[in-house]
Amino acid sequence: MKFYRVMAVSRKVFRDVANDKRSLAMLFLAPIFAMCVFGLAFSGDVEDVNVIIVNQDQGYTSPMGDTTYLSETIISNLDTKVLNIKNMGNVDEARQQVIDGKASAVIIFPENFTQNALLKTQDPSYPDSAEIIIQGDDSITNIKNSILQTVNQALSDTMTAEGVEPALKITSDPIYGKDAEFIDFFVPGILAFVVYLLTTILTLITFVGERVNGTLERVLASPVTEGEVITGYALTFGVLGVVQVALLLAVAILAFNIIVVGNVLLAFLAVAILAISCQALGILLSSLAKRPEQAIQFFPFVILPAFLLSGVFWPIQAIPAWLRPFSYLVPPTYAADACRAVMLKGWGLTKIWPDLLALVIFALLFLGLAVWSLKRGKN
Amino acid sequence: MTKPINASFQEIIKLDVGKVKNVTLENEYAIFTNHLTKKFKDFTAVNDLNLKVEKGEIYGLLGPNGAGKTTVIKMLTSILNPSAGDAQVLGEKIPDGKVAPKIGYMPQETGVYLGLTVDQNLKFYGRVFNLKKDEMEKREDELLRFVDLLDWKNEMVENLSGGMKHRVSLACTLIHQPELLFLDEPTVGVDPELRVSFWDYFNQLRKKGVTILITTHYMDEARHCDRIGFMQRGSLIAEDEPLKLLEESGEDSLEDAFLVFSKRDKNRRKRVVS
Repeated sequence: MKFYRVMAVSRKVFRDVANDKRSLAMLFLAPIFAMCVFGLAFSGDVEDVNVIIVNQDQGYTSPMGDTTYLSETIISNLDTKVLNIKNMGNVDEARQQVIDGKASAVIIFPENFTQNALLKTQDPSYPDSAEIIIQGDDSITNIKNSILQTVNQALSDTMTAEGVEPALKITSDPIYGKDAEFIDFFVPGILAFVVYLLTTILTLITFVGERVNGTLERVLASPVTEGEVITGYALTFGVLGVVQVALLLAVAILAFNIIVVGNVLLAFLAVAILAISCQALGILLSSLAKRPEQAIQFFPFVILPAFLLSGVFWPIQAIPAWLRPFSYLVPPTYAADACRAVMLKGWGLTKIWPDLLALVIFALLFLGLAVWSLKRGKN
Repeated sequence: MTKPINASFQEIIKLDVGKVKNVTLENEYAIFTNHLTKKFKDFTAVNDLNLKVEKGEIYGLLGPNGAGKTTVIKMLTSILNPSAGDAQVLGEKIPDGKVAPKIGYMPQETGVYLGLTVDQNLKFYGRVFNLKKDEMEKREDELLRFVDLLDWKNEMVENLSGGMKHRVSLACTLIHQPELLFLDEPTVGVDPELRVSFWDYFNQLRKKGVTILITTHYMDEARHCDRIGFMQRGSLIAEDEPLKLLEESGEDSLEDAFLVFSKRDKNRRKRVVS
């Protein structure tokens, strides 16, 4: 392998990308656009859910003569960012709103709500519990869960304010990711995803072009070897991957103020190795396509496994157990994991090396296969 | 010398002469193929080809589409591995990287990067052959002058016309001053005027001692070649100087001559089968 030939190929690939404004936009603007769209729209937080409250609570008048309405305190504690509250007096009318799709749930405070709540607190042997009844459209699980969560939160806030300490309590004391939001989880993942996706697709298209235009043959007829072609490509796309990620990260830090506690250089390293295996994958796939249009047919096979399995958009634990082993067969899984560990937990090389090792193995495997596929084409 | 003592003096001489002659013969040729065969699964693209191209000659491979001309070139440039037989190119056995710096290959599909400028294309191929900066500039200038693209040096190749792309392709092929040129249909889509100047240039190169193996289906163009090989179904069916081929076939044009040889070949095959 001669260095000057590898560099000649690498420079050429770089020029090819740099000359084409569309490729540049795809490499550098598309990821930022994707991050903004996903980061803002796909935050996972549900807002503005229409609910109807039917408050039939009669309150509780103490022997001293003053009347308390616990239900009203709870209602005032509901997060109005999540719930758009409308009050109604009649349960049937309220239900009709849900049936007609105008509201997601009816929250009912029965007549003796405060009475039962207070009496039960004072005397645990009191027979009736206080109940909040939620009748809703449970077909959208996200919305259902946020209603339940919001009501629960309001309930526990009210109880704390009233000085009622629950017998059992959970305290969250974060070791990592204090104040982390969805975007903090999402950005490291999208770094890996974007590099995986764009590198694979760009090499796939570029290399099909090399085959169709006869440039690959001309290069292989020259002193350049298959290994030099692939190393040249790897070099360029490795560097481009890092530049891509650096730019994306800069925007993420400036615009979304994301958490970065670790050494981003380690994240860059993970992403560079990922880019190298992805370009080899692109070259490998290009051997299956005779025309650029055919290459486009591979896009779903490139995008979907990584999208669904790599833990970029949701954690791997959210994938059914039988499907999970497949997550470990897509390289972005390891890069996303490494980037998250570095950025959110501040982990160093001593802790993320298994991810890096997996990425290196993928890179070597794909590079080897890509060289093999070029050599096989000779027979 | 491991010959038994009782072997006659003459025998020893004969053997040695044979050996030496054999070696020099193969080395003398720019291209020497020995039962060269290429199969793609069940399809035989090149069948038992014995081709000899002398140094400094322009050899034209002629034949219809699918005759195996391109496959021959791809084997000789080490793009494809032969299925059987072997070949030497400039004295080196192929497939091998050793001969690569001495040959120039112009593929049918132009083989230039559409997304690069003319200059960037030439520089890339120059770098591949380790051309030094000064030499590269000089060569580039010469070649662009020759293919009349000096004004288009910094233009993106995708913006050029078909004929211009072919000219860029030829310039890329010649950047490292190869000793042996493989030109696969170099004049397709090139206008008649430019075609004439291409052939002028090929003749100039021949005078400098460059060997050229060219494929074309413009039969009239083939008369520029020193020798022609007619190819049909992966085999050479006739081979000689253009005038001699005309003479032998009794025809006025190479196209008709080809048809005559093709017919003879078919009859021969029939006879072999029956």
